[in-house]
This record gives sequence, C-alpha cells and structure tokens, in this order.
Amino acid sequence: MNTPLLQEILGNASRTDTNLDGSSSFKAQTLNFGLLDEYSKREIRRAILTAVAVPGYQVPFGSREMPVARGWGSGGLQISLAIVGPDDVVKVIDQGDDEGVNAVNLRRLIVSSTGIPESTTPEDSTLIQTRHRIPEDPLDARHTLVLQVPVPEPLRGVERDMRELARMHAEADYARMWVSLYEDKVRNGVITRTTGYPCLVNSRYVIATTPIPRWDIPRLHQSEFLSLFGAGREKRIYAVPPHTDVEPLTFEDVPFEVEKTPGAKCRNCASNNTFLVEVLATDVRQSYWVCSDSDWCRRHRELSDSSSQGLMT
Amino acid sequence: MSTNWALKIESLGKIHGIPDLRSLEDTGPEKGTAKSALTGSIVAAWDVSFEVAPGEALGVIGESGSGKSTVMRCIAGDQGSTTGAVRLRTVHDGHMNVLDLDPSSRRHLRVADLSVVYQDPAEGLRLNVTAGGNIAEALTAAGWRHFGRIRDRAAELLDRTEVPLSRMDDLVGTFSGGMRQRVQLAKALANEPPVILLDEPTTGLDASIAAGVLDLIRNLLEETGVAAVVVSHDFAVIEMLTTRCVVMNHGRIVESGLTDRLLEDPHHPYSQKLVGAARA
Amino acid sequence: MNPNNFILSCQGLSKSFTLHTIDGRHVEALRGIDIEIHPGEHVALAGSSGAGKSSLLKCIYRTYEPTSGSVFLRLRNGENVDLTQVSDQEMAFYRGRDIGYVSQFLRAEPRRGPLDIVTRAGVSRGMDRETAREAAVVSLRRLNIDEKLWDVHASVLSGGEKQRINLAAGTISAPQLLLLDEPVSALDPNNREAALDLIGDLTSHGVAVLAVFHDLEAMERLASRIVLMRNGQVEMNGTPEDVLKVLAEGVPS
Repeated sequence: MNTPLLQEILGNASRTDTNLDGSSSFKAQTLNFGLLDEYSKREIRRAILTAVAVPGYQVPFGSREMPVARGWGSGGLQISLAIVGPDDVVKVIDQGDDEGVNAVNLRRLIVSSTGIPESTTPEDSTLIQTRHRIPEDPLDARHTLVLQVPVPEPLRGVERDMRELARMHAEADYARMWVSLYEDKVRNGVITRTTGYPCLVNSRYVIATTPIPRWDIPRLHQSEFLSLFGAGREKRIYAVPPHTDVEPLTFEDVPFEVEKTPGAKCRNCASNNTFLVEVLATDVRQSYWVCSDSDWCRRHRELSDSSSQGLMT
Repeated sequence: MSTNWALKIESLGKIHGIPDLRSLEDTGPEKGTAKSALTGSIVAAWDVSFEVAPGEALGVIGESGSGKSTVMRCIAGDQGSTTGAVRLRTVHDGHMNVLDLDPSSRRHLRVADLSVVYQDPAEGLRLNVTAGGNIAEALTAAGWRHFGRIRDRAAELLDRTEVPLSRMDDLVGTFSGGMRQRVQLAKALANEPPVILLDEPTTGLDASIAAGVLDLIRNLLEETGVAAVVVSHDFAVIEMLTTRCVVMNHGRIVESGLTDRLLEDPHHPYSQKLVGAARA
Repeated sequence: MNPNNFILSCQGLSKSFTLHTIDGRHVEALRGIDIEIHPGEHVALAGSSGAGKSSLLKCIYRTYEPTSGSVFLRLRNGENVDLTQVSDQEMAFYRGRDIGYVSQFLRAEPRRGPLDIVTRAGVSRGMDRETAREAAVVSLRRLNIDEKLWDVHASVLSGGEKQRINLAAGTISAPQLLLLDEPVSALDPNNREAALDLIGDLTSHGVAVLAVFHDLEAMERLASRIVLMRNGQVEMNGTPEDVLKVLAEGVPS
C-alpha cells in the first residue's frame, strides 16, 4: 500500500526514474529510509538526546519542511522519522482514533518511506505517534510515544516576550504560572484548565502537556516508556524519559482531578474507566458517550461480545 | 551597635557611558553637573555609602537628576553599577557583595530579601492581574503552594494596607492610584523582607490620598521592623518617615545626618537651598 | 551633691551657622556654654528671645549640630557619652531611650489618636505594649485629655490638647534627661497646673530637667536653679531667688 501513495506525494521528485516500479529498490535509490536525509536525522536525534538528558527542557531544532503542513503533526513526524528503525512497528492516532484522516495519512507516510509494518494495537507496536491522547493500554519500555505538539510553551498565556520566557525557565521562575492557576480558581471556583495541563518535570521544568487531556497526565509520571514531544511550527523538541517525575501543578489543598462524568459509560463497549468523549446525536435530541481510544474500544467490544455469546450457549 | 545593619552600601558608583575615572574630575556638586565634558560620560552616582539598621528608615533626598533613583535602582538590581558594594545581612551575613552575584541569584533576592515599592505602581504590579493574584505571585515565588493559605495571607495583607477585601478579586488596573500603591505595599511586604526600598512612594498622588498612604507606610515601617530606604524629593515625606537621611546633588552625597538636624541645621549650601525652598 | 554625679554636662558648647544662601553670613548662636545638671535637678533657662535658650536645647538634642564643645550625658546604664561624638544612629537610639524632648509643637504625626501616640512613645522607650498603654492612660487622664478624644486624630485637636499629648508622650517613661521647650505655652490655667504638676513629679523622681518657660511663675515654681542666658552665653547661674531678683530688676540689654 505504500508505494502508490508515496509516488503520489513525491511524484515530481521521482519523475526522472520512470522505470522504477515502486518496489524497495525505488526507495533505496531515490529516497532515504524514513524520508529524511541522514544529516537531518542526526540533527533531530541530537536534539532528542538533549531533550532526554534535560527532561522537560524545550530544545530548539531546525524543523524541516515536511510533506504535511506545519501544525499538522510535522514536529511529531520528524521525530518519528528520525528515530524509526527497520524493526519498529508503527501506530498513529489522532484524537485516540487510528482511522482519523490525519492519522491515516501520517501512518501511510511513515510506512511507505520505511517499509515497516503498522498496527493499531499498542501491544504490537513499538513507535506510537499521537495527537491528543495516550493509548488506554499500559505502555512499557518497548514503546516510544511521540506526541505532536501545537504550542510547546506552557508560559505562553502569561508572557509573550521570548527572552523573558527563556529567563523564567532558566531560573525556574514559575510564580506567574501559579498566579494564572490561582486566578482560574478564584474566578471559576475550580481550575478549569483541561488539555495541555502544565506539569513540572523532574522537579525542574514546567512543560505543556499539550494537548492530551488531564486523564492521561498521571500516566506520564514515572512511566516505563519514553515520551518525545515535537512542535514543528515552533521548532521545539522536549522529552519525558522513563522513570521521571511528572507532577501536574496544583495547590496542596486543591487536588488534581482527571475528567470524570458520573454515570457516563461508553455506548459501544460499556466501559466507564476510560477517557470518554461526548457525541452529539443529530437525530435524537441527546448525546451519548464513547471511548476516545477507538482501538481499545473495539477490542473490548469484541471481548464483551464473545463473553456474552459464551453466556448464551 | 554600628555593626547591626540590615543593608550596607559601600562606595556605590554608576557612570553612564565610558567608565573613565577622569569623569569624576569635572563632575559633582562643586562643578554643578553630573555630565563630564572631558569624557562625555554621566556620573549618575559616585561614592555613595550608608547603612540601615533593622527598624530604621533612611531617607535619600535630592532633586530629580541628583542620582537618588539611580542609587535605589542599583541597590534593587534594576540597573547595573559601575563600582561599589551592596550588602544584605541575610546574604552570607553581609560578607557577600550582592553586586557580584549572577543575575539570576540577584533577581532571586527580590523574593524575600529585598522588596521595592515604585512610584509607578505599574512597575511593581501587574495591572491585568487581581490584587490577590499580585500578592499570590510574591507568595508562590517564595514557595507557597496552599491555595487557602495564599488567600488568607493575601486578605490579611490587603486588610493591613487598608484595601477593601471586596476588591481583592478585582484587576489592579481598575484601581485608583492610591489603592494601587496600597496593593504594591501589600505585595512588597508579602514575604516579610528585612529590607524595603521606597521610591517616591506618594509622588503623583492627590495630596489627601498621599497623606493616607504616607500614614500607612509609617505605621507599616514601625510595626514590621523592616529596614527602609525612602527615596524622595519631598521633605515632608522624608520628615514623616525617616530618622536619618542623606542629601544627594549631582550624583554625590553632600550631607548626611539626623533628619530633624538636616531640616533645622543644614550645613551644605545645596542642603540649605533645598530646605529653604521646602520651607518657603 | 556630688559634682561628678551629673546627668548632663555641657562644656564649651558653641554653635554657629553659616548661611550660604545669604552671602555666606555667619551667625553665632551659642558661645562656649558650660552647664551641669544633676539627677532630680530642674534647671530653667531664662533670657530674652534670641539669647540662645532654644538653641542650647537643640544642640543637646542634636537637632542642631554643635560647632565645638562637648555634651556629656549619663546613660541609664551609668556610662557617660559625649553626644557630639556619637553616630547619628546612636544618637537616635539615645533619643528614644534616655532623652525626652517636649517642644512647643506636636511633630507631624500620621492619623493617630492621642492614646496611640503616647503608647507608641512608651514602646519606643522599651516598655512592652500593655504597660505603655496603661501608662498612657494614666498620663492622658492626669493631663485632662477628654477620654472621648483618645482615638481622634491628633491633627484635628486644639493647640492646647496637642501640647499636652506632646508632654504625655515625652514623659511617659521617665527619661534620664528631659528637655522642655515652652511645654505649657498654649495651656489654660487648669491644664497648665496639671502639666506643671506632672513635670514637678518627674523631677522628684530623679529626672534631670532642662526647661525653657515663657513665664516666670512656672520657673519660680519648678526650678531648683536658673541659668540666665544672654547673647549665646551664660550670664548668670544661680538659685531661683537670686536670678529672679536680677530679672525683676530688669536685665540690662
């Protein structure tokens, strides 16, 4: 499935090689493994290494033009393509869904430029590129999570001057971040921040966990897996290495809470212990809830289907 | 007794332009200018020394351009200095010249070691943040992480500076000048700093409002035992708040003494002129 | 009386002013004043206006900086210091603890009531707040300050009331030395009586007083000695009887 797409995308570049049939020899001759040239990969990998060495620190990198628009996952894509190897199995999700248009396109691009297999189940995958979610299944040391980040700067809301921002991070001066949480609580009675909740990494740098929901935040803390955050438009890479503290900024007397709607459960698989999203039904005047992680939901639906079948027999 | 200081300034100097010491020769009170014709540099402050004890308020008086605000900004760290030493009792027991600190450590002193109240509240406050939020900034910078306690402390400080609690959650930008100055005082005192610098704290306020803020400052200085430096061009402010003061003219201290002595028995020609003008 | 047992000893105290704003004119206010005051002694300064009475008080208190000479003060702890030689900070400290100064006018005070002003004066003398408050109550009652005025801002009170508040603040805890500069000039006869009574009590408790009064009657009543000044010098230093007699005969001018 990979070659026609790639020819479509890169048709102009490969036009001179008219005799190629789209097999692996095409890639070997014309395109590098993982699309990026080795110098670009090296530069991105260096940025990643720095990011891993200084957890939470936003490392600038020379973001490339990618065959996706900036702001559409180009940062995550560059990370994925820079670290992907022939033994990897890739999974790409968008809003928790493997079948979203964006997810499909990015996955096809990675697969077609590398020839590696793809999967939708985390169990079978090693490289998971994501926007908005962390899969519900527990991830482990085999996995590398690559997050596409639109706005990497957690302090953007309180300060716009780049030099002042750099100073604040350098001196761990996050008082104004706290003030914004204080004001949120004063104004609204609760801290309303939902996605991209600011977290302190390794007791040093505050990061934007953009744009995953609060639900996923606790799973970054002391995780078994490596998380890499890439912002293509803003040209920043940062990381949460395995076994690293990730603490959501919250007041001692205002506990951090994840999203939870009492009584809500997935209409498809009946789960009430996953991150659920509300769907507005247009025909009936009501809404219902479904799992955000479509792959997880599908597998659990099959499980409950088979178990209920078992009961019937 | 003389060693019991909270803040000590030694030979502080600030030259704008080339720090050529020849600039000192043709500047100063006797020359009637701070700008050197020889080098083109401006000697904004030179050889400024004083110390302030806990619970004491020292005045720095002079006309605009005398260098008094330069001295304050050099102590606060808002401006670099050319030479000299600034010592705080709380920093290595005064053995450290804080001018030698790296910029980050220097800025950190502003959390709990040294507070500044500026003439323009916009310099010390964020106008697009609530009164409580402004104080919360000072408290969270000092490590406060308990929302309820932050609220309580902010309310206590605002009450102490006579800001109605009903306005605690209003943006400071909606406050009057006098009220902003009270919030600035509350923020400055949030972490109970041992030293506070006040730069023309009532200048620009209506007379009746200024009197109220002045009363408040005097009460706060007496009650907190903080060491204060009050910079002002106004003898009424200096007389009300300080026991000792220094007179600055063209970047140099021309006279220092007990405040009532300086007012009643000024020695230096410039001091006599200043007092004469104030008394007229 | 042991001559070395003084509270205050001025030796060769001189003060001159150079008025730079008026052609550098030179004005001599005090010319070599020698004066000693012992515990429990009330010395009144007499002389026409311009004789240097207030200047002498101010030089002792260092509101004026003496040009030459010494001002020795015996501190509470028995130590002698020359007030012309101590630092400004030390002087401020001695002012708070050892010297009371009551001038004709109330120094600019913030919006505070009489009780608060007098209590704070006590606290600055080292009394604890409760004791100071109790003492302030006693003092204000004694000086006939209406209780209804105790929390009224002093700035709106009458001249006589302000003067009594000033006196109460200056005398709340007995200082070593009390300097009085026309402390009862604005008082009506009744209040004047109470004020003089209070001052007399302090003297009997061992406070050394150096006072300037605008009337002879007060001097006669309180002074154990009168120093007659003229042209910045001591003209006569003697018993009230002797000096008042000279004064009654008219000072040659």
